[in-house]
Amino acid sequence: MLELIFAVLLIAAFATLFIKSGRIAAIISLIASAMPLIAVMDWANDFGIKAFSFGVENSMDFSIAGITMHLSITSFAWFFAVMVFSLLPPIFLFSYSFFEKNNGFFPFMLFLITAVFGILLASDFLTLFFFWELMAASSFILVYISRDKKAIMSYLAFSVLSAVLILVGIALLYSQSGTLIFSDIVLNADKVTVSAIILMVAGFAVKSALMPLHAWAPFVYSKADEPFVAFLSGGLSKVGYYGMFFMLFALPGAKILHQYFNSGVATYLLAVIGAISAFIGTLLAFMEDDLRKLLAYSSIAQLGYIAVGFGIGSSLAMAGALFQAFNHAFFKSVLFLAAGAVAYRTGKWKISELGGVGYKMPFTFMAALFAIFALAAIPITSGFAAKWLLYEAAVSNKYIFITPIMLIAGVGAFLYSFRILYGVFLGENRHDDIKEAPLPMIAGMFLLVLPLIIFLIFPGYMLDMMHSALVDAGIGTISHTNYVIRTGTASYNTLAVVIGMMVVMIPAFLIYVLRKQKKVDFKDNFLAGEPYEFYGYISMHAANNFYKPIEDVIMPYLRKGAISFYTALYNAMGRVSDASRKIYTGLSQDYTIYIIIFFFIIVGWLIW
Amino acid sequence: MVVEKIAVIALYTTIAMFVGILFMGVGRKIVARVHNRVGPPVYQGFIDIAKLLTKKTNISHGWIYDLALLFSMTGIMLTILFLPIGGVKLLSMEGDAFLVLYLLAIPALGFALGAGASGNPNAAIGVMRALVMMLSYELPFVITLIALMIYYDTSSIAQIVEMQHAKWAIMIPPFVLAAAVADMALQGMLMEAPFDIPTAPHEIASGPMAEFGGKHLGALMIYKAGTIVAYTTLFVDLFLGGGVVMHDGSVLAYLANFAVWFILIFLVFTLSLLINTSFPRFRIEQAFKFYWKYEALLAFISLIWVYLMVIS
Repeated sequence: MLELIFAVLLIAAFATLFIKSGRIAAIISLIASAMPLIAVMDWANDFGIKAFSFGVENSMDFSIAGITMHLSITSFAWFFAVMVFSLLPPIFLFSYSFFEKNNGFFPFMLFLITAVFGILLASDFLTLFFFWELMAASSFILVYISRDKKAIMSYLAFSVLSAVLILVGIALLYSQSGTLIFSDIVLNADKVTVSAIILMVAGFAVKSALMPLHAWAPFVYSKADEPFVAFLSGGLSKVGYYGMFFMLFALPGAKILHQYFNSGVATYLLAVIGAISAFIGTLLAFMEDDLRKLLAYSSIAQLGYIAVGFGIGSSLAMAGALFQAFNHAFFKSVLFLAAGAVAYRTGKWKISELGGVGYKMPFTFMAALFAIFALAAIPITSGFAAKWLLYEAAVSNKYIFITPIMLIAGVGAFLYSFRILYGVFLGENRHDDIKEAPLPMIAGMFLLVLPLIIFLIFPGYMLDMMHSALVDAGIGTISHTNYVIRTGTASYNTLAVVIGMMVVMIPAFLIYVLRKQKKVDFKDNFLAGEPYEFYGYISMHAANNFYKPIEDVIMPYLRKGAISFYTALYNAMGRVSDASRKIYTGLSQDYTIYIIIFFFIIVGWLIW
Repeated sequence: MVVEKIAVIALYTTIAMFVGILFMGVGRKIVARVHNRVGPPVYQGFIDIAKLLTKKTNISHGWIYDLALLFSMTGIMLTILFLPIGGVKLLSMEGDAFLVLYLLAIPALGFALGAGASGNPNAAIGVMRALVMMLSYELPFVITLIALMIYYDTSSIAQIVEMQHAKWAIMIPPFVLAAAVADMALQGMLMEAPFDIPTAPHEIASGPMAEFGGKHLGALMIYKAGTIVAYTTLFVDLFLGGGVVMHDGSVLAYLANFAVWFILIFLVFTLSLLINTSFPRFRIEQAFKFYWKYEALLAFISLIWVYLMVIS
């Protein structure tokens, strides 16, 4: 059965290579992407969740050319698999309308899914690395479709960096423990050194766009096709966190680091890096004018929270981190898809050129609104429960540096959320001639919004889902019922919030019974009938340079960022290579001298 | 049990709203007296709201514009439910200070949505200023909040209030500093001068309110009344023991606590009004620098002080 799933995915991938129509390819991909989801649902029974059983076995050995690949599902891989694979059918549903022609998105997306399925199932490092490379290659081609040089080069450079770090890490692990199979390494965990763990974690952190390894994200997220970016930000970044989770808690790397440094300084550093990612990402996000770049920086910020949870490592923090990972997978996919839907209808990406789209595309707006509420952690979506767990964890550990930074990043999220809401969906109506997005797009987005609402009322279901993952990783879970989460210092009752809200909404609504009103066009209300062409298009838009005052204060401090560091590194490497090229003078005397110098070095070394 | 709880909730929401509307009138009276004017009567707020709510509204700018204000009224009332009022816990055992921080964002975001939907550039500028102000004052405020949480080893506001029975937080040296910082943050939350930048009437025509009239403006006034009660109560709960003076559970204690809570939030509100009448308005970047440079530094000093007290 497991072989069948891999076979279906690969056959579908090869079949879609030869299909020109985007519609047919989307349908094939949709069916194929449901296969891993069926397996994931089936395995829910293994981890204490009641679900349908289809009889999918949960492990498989696969031999090719004398090398055996071990595949089996673990509880933590299963949790990540749930979030990654439930994203896919809605994304393909969206793509049905998004792609008229198959430009290569579908086949390589299916290769990518195969690779992710393999990564999550891998139970030895060779298999992991094989699928990791397949993932890197297929996602690189998906980036390559964008034909944007900066995106392609930065993605390639960082993918290679990630692969090298992981490969060296695996080599070290093999030399230290003498095996590549996960369960054997866990048994020999005392032989594993910190360098291997740090290398592996850094390699995985590249995929999760953790600062300072995030430099590729803004370029790639802003140029590649939206459905792919939705999966890249929502799904693939979580695969990076799966690797980190595995290295830090299943191996358990956190304990090894702890013993080596004789304190929690290394994991604390990870938490600080996460908090700074959240903070700087937020600041950069609300000054960005390109909608996709804004979402990219917001991704970096939201993913930073997960790293904070991993760094703190208590049961509270881990529950918060996994919850945040789950939420982020869904709301960020919705936002990228909504951005794609808006661009599909208007063809524009700049916030200062958009505006008033929400009046013409109300359903897209509704989906985006819910996603934004989740992103800003407003307590009417499940976004809040995750952040709440993380804040609680940080405060109960008395982290006086991380907690305020996380909280202020949370406030900053309101700023860029409003930027999206006002600049794109509300405000000046500049698009009278557009229609609502096609039905499959809307259906895809609403399917992704659904979990955000379900886990608002029942965060306990989410904690049940991650229960066996946390127990297997030796972290332990927190006490909860279906709708109450209790920590040592406080409790959070979602039902009280929802019911309280309904109760106070009744009088508020009674005060405010709506009557028949005249709908006023916005052109009447502030332009007083004058055409805006008269004033110039962009400069008149209130969303242009929206946070200018605060930008003037903050930007001088942020100018020397990581991206300029990498640019300087790139230039320096160019100069070094240029300098080294000068030894090829083309004169035979020079080459003779090189040979003589080389000869003397060898002789000198032998005498030594 | 549930019905009882809902009745108490309804009662307290109503009381809080009445107190808020009363304070708006009282505030205008106090400001007038500082200006050496007679000023409107203290019940002017009720008259204004009654007038606005009975007015027929002719203009709408779409469903977001209509529903957003409903959203902000709901949000502010919901926030009040999660704050202990005079020691009465309402729903505050079901959530904590982080929840309150985020619940306070619901009305603000609702208000911002409504203003955004009105399409007026002045409203957009006003909302931008309001959000930047939020980012500014939240930093010092959350740092003081974390100092309290670390000292009392809980993040629940109800428990922080309970632990102040013996000694109010403001009587402990580091929290004097923290309370001073939080009071300046409160000035920004209440949008009083020198931080009345978002609504600056002379610059941007009252900012976010520019397009609202009739029923919408009435709803906005109720929202404003709610914010006064919510923010002052938050301050009193955190630093002044929530106004709890007797804790034997008798009816007398109930009334006394309520009276003390009322006096304390009135004092906090008056202090904010007196600062309001004495200072001109900051520019937005000045306010941002003020909060992130000086206030945040002071707040952080108090946090480190508390941290050293706790770990020693």
